[in-house]
Amino acid sequence: MSARTRQIIGWVVTAGLVAVIVVGMIIGDTRDEDRVASLGAAIKCPVCQGEAIVDSPSETAQAMVVVLEEKVAEGLSDEEIFDFFTARYGDGIRLDPRFTAQTLLLWALPIVAVGGGVWMILSRRRRPELVSGETT
Amino acid sequence: MTAIIGSIAVLAAFISAAALAVRGFLAMRDPSVDARESLKWPVFGVVAGALVAMSVLEIAILMDDFSIEYIANNSASTTPTLFKVAAGWAALEGSIVLWGLVLAIFVYTVYRQVARREEADQLGAGALAVLGLITFFFFGLMLTVSNPFRVCVEIANVGCFEGSNLPWADSISAFEGRGPNALLQNHILMAVHPPMLYFGYVGMSVPYAFAMAALMLGMSGSQWLQRTRAWTLVAWGFLTVGIVLGGWWSYEVLGWGGYWAWDPVENASFLPWLIATAFLHSAVVQQRRGMLQAWNFVLVISTFSLTILGTFLTRSGVIVSVHSFTQSPIGPALLWFLMIILVASFGLFVARIHVVASSPRLDSLASREGVFLLNNLLLTVFAIVVLVGTLYPMFLEAFGGAEVGVGRPFFDRMAIPISIALLLATANGPVTPYRSAKGSVVWERLRTPLQLALAGAALGVVLGNRSPILVIGTVAATFLMFVILRNLYVAARKVARKREMALPAAVLHVTRNDAGYWGGQFSHFGIALLAFGIVFSANLTVEREITLVPGETGTVAGYDITYLEPFSRTEPHRTVRGAAIEVSRGGDVLSYEEPRLNTYNNSSQAVATPAVYESLKGDVYLSLRSLNPDTVVLGVFWFPFIWLVWVGGLIAGVAVLWSRLVRKPTRDNVPVAQAVGDER
Repeated sequence: MSARTRQIIGWVVTAGLVAVIVVGMIIGDTRDEDRVASLGAAIKCPVCQGEAIVDSPSETAQAMVVVLEEKVAEGLSDEEIFDFFTARYGDGIRLDPRFTAQTLLLWALPIVAVGGGVWMILSRRRRPELVSGETT
Repeated sequence: MTAIIGSIAVLAAFISAAALAVRGFLAMRDPSVDARESLKWPVFGVVAGALVAMSVLEIAILMDDFSIEYIANNSASTTPTLFKVAAGWAALEGSIVLWGLVLAIFVYTVYRQVARREEADQLGAGALAVLGLITFFFFGLMLTVSNPFRVCVEIANVGCFEGSNLPWADSISAFEGRGPNALLQNHILMAVHPPMLYFGYVGMSVPYAFAMAALMLGMSGSQWLQRTRAWTLVAWGFLTVGIVLGGWWSYEVLGWGGYWAWDPVENASFLPWLIATAFLHSAVVQQRRGMLQAWNFVLVISTFSLTILGTFLTRSGVIVSVHSFTQSPIGPALLWFLMIILVASFGLFVARIHVVASSPRLDSLASREGVFLLNNLLLTVFAIVVLVGTLYPMFLEAFGGAEVGVGRPFFDRMAIPISIALLLATANGPVTPYRSAKGSVVWERLRTPLQLALAGAALGVVLGNRSPILVIGTVAATFLMFVILRNLYVAARKVARKREMALPAAVLHVTRNDAGYWGGQFSHFGIALLAFGIVFSANLTVEREITLVPGETGTVAGYDITYLEPFSRTEPHRTVRGAAIEVSRGGDVLSYEEPRLNTYNNSSQAVATPAVYESLKGDVYLSLRSLNPDTVVLGVFWFPFIWLVWVGGLIAGVAVLWSRLVRKPTRDNVPVAQAVGDER
């Protein structure tokens, strides 16, 4: 078997495996999504010290989880459920903050950092003509 | 008596630290000064003072000396001995004493290195001077706002109501101590986790001190990096182990089934870890290629500043968290210290920028240097995300903005893509040559590991595990593992052929010959195991709440959970109530577990302590939600492969010391090391 053939087989195998994985992920997860767990992790327990309601053993948090389970069973959307809880406990209860003017920087700063970093790395690169001119 | 001896010890260390700073600076400026002689007594004073202070505090705790405010309020006569020892650092003032002791140990090791040198060591003397200033500050805290030896002048029913800073004041002994915080006397890891973390935190002062000395001396080049390489690795290893043990403690004690909540205090320990990790890698680039000189100063200053920021956050009461210390006047002192460090360090850096700014440029992005830069970019952005997420709610509130919570969903969303990119970069780095890399060469080295990782994931997908995070995370983690194994195999096979050795012997030969490099690779392997454990346990968790009457059995994830009977017992320092549970599978009894509620004498609220049945396949985690006269409510979790999180993390932390653990290579091995060097 020539090196060329082996290389082609390698690419085909890799592409085949990627195809299986991608198709599988598109068909979807066979397990049900646990909305109570994911939403409960995004709602702060109001009497605790910065813990989510699913993480806290306190009675208030446990009671809120029960309410959350009811709302999920009623088929409310994520936003409706957040609205329900923020109406009672305020916006601060969301551990996944809403995108507003006041929280803009929370997202903007990491993006600025990425941009700045990429720019710094690119500007540190030797200019192409210098590389080709240098034949050491 | 305790107060007087302790205070004298602290004062002695304080004065010695000042002398160390002054004499250190003099020796730095004038090479004719013999640093070994002139710094001997200041170093001795710092070490002796710190040792005596910690010992006196520990002895007094063990002897139940409740005339000391700290002991009366943080220990009790009924506290078990182990937790009495841990009480020496479990609360605010004691934690600063431990900090001072660890700092003194580092001062001593740096002094020994300086003293061993034949020629004048201006850089080392300058570093000792900077360490002297830091030590001066911490012992200053112990004399003022965080005094562990305050005597009790007015007692409460239990513990001490009012203390005095004057060690000779008329003291009264409290009848009984309050005992440690209930959560802190619940698990043995509490005794180990803080000292580990402190060695990591405080160890970062050493590279910082050398960097500052190099800047003051206007020294360019990487001498300061070479001198501090070992300390940086040791400190990083301790920090890693400390963080992992903290997560394990949280898992074993807090009962919510997790080990990492993006709590501000956890973030405070994670931030210096991220930047220190970036520093470890960019230091390699400077040493190999002379690049990134200025950037390394920025990283080392940032790492040290972040350790002080973390100390400030945990001890000032500005954040509410599961394990922040109570409010105290130490906050402003630490904040001022942080400000001074930032202004002085970056001021000095800017003043000396002409010395450090000239470094060679990058030949090509497709090179080892390029991957290192990507690694630094990702780690720095990760740190910025964590820093902004942690401080943002605080700043917003301080400036009258809305109350905003930033929690797990936010951090997870940011951290997952960055972590996956980091894993992929980590796999790519070691197979990419320096200067300029050919795509075909890199692909040849990555092909088999990638195919193996994809095959594993494809099998998982066919079997029904199709959540994208699970699939992509597993591919990234296993890909990294296979790349490392392949590199080791290729290098060992070459040696085995050349020297006609058996393959296992060749593996040992290769990894010992180039121990620094393979230590790093083993550490990467640990990180890959850790990532695999996180991805698996987080995405395949089974969680159910079951209510049982005695004799009844519930089934979770194939495990039969049988409630045998309730039990209760009284220990000197606590009352334990719990449920006796039998864990079995397919009729085979695997284990008896006792999830329980511990009520400590000093606290009315019961602390729920989970019980965990651990196996290689995963953990059955039992958390007692409520214990009624006739029923028990249990939260039952199934966490597959979660032990990989601890084991991977510990390997990552310990493996960097590989080069210290194995013997140095003998001279005749060197050509072989070079022969396999082309793969690096």
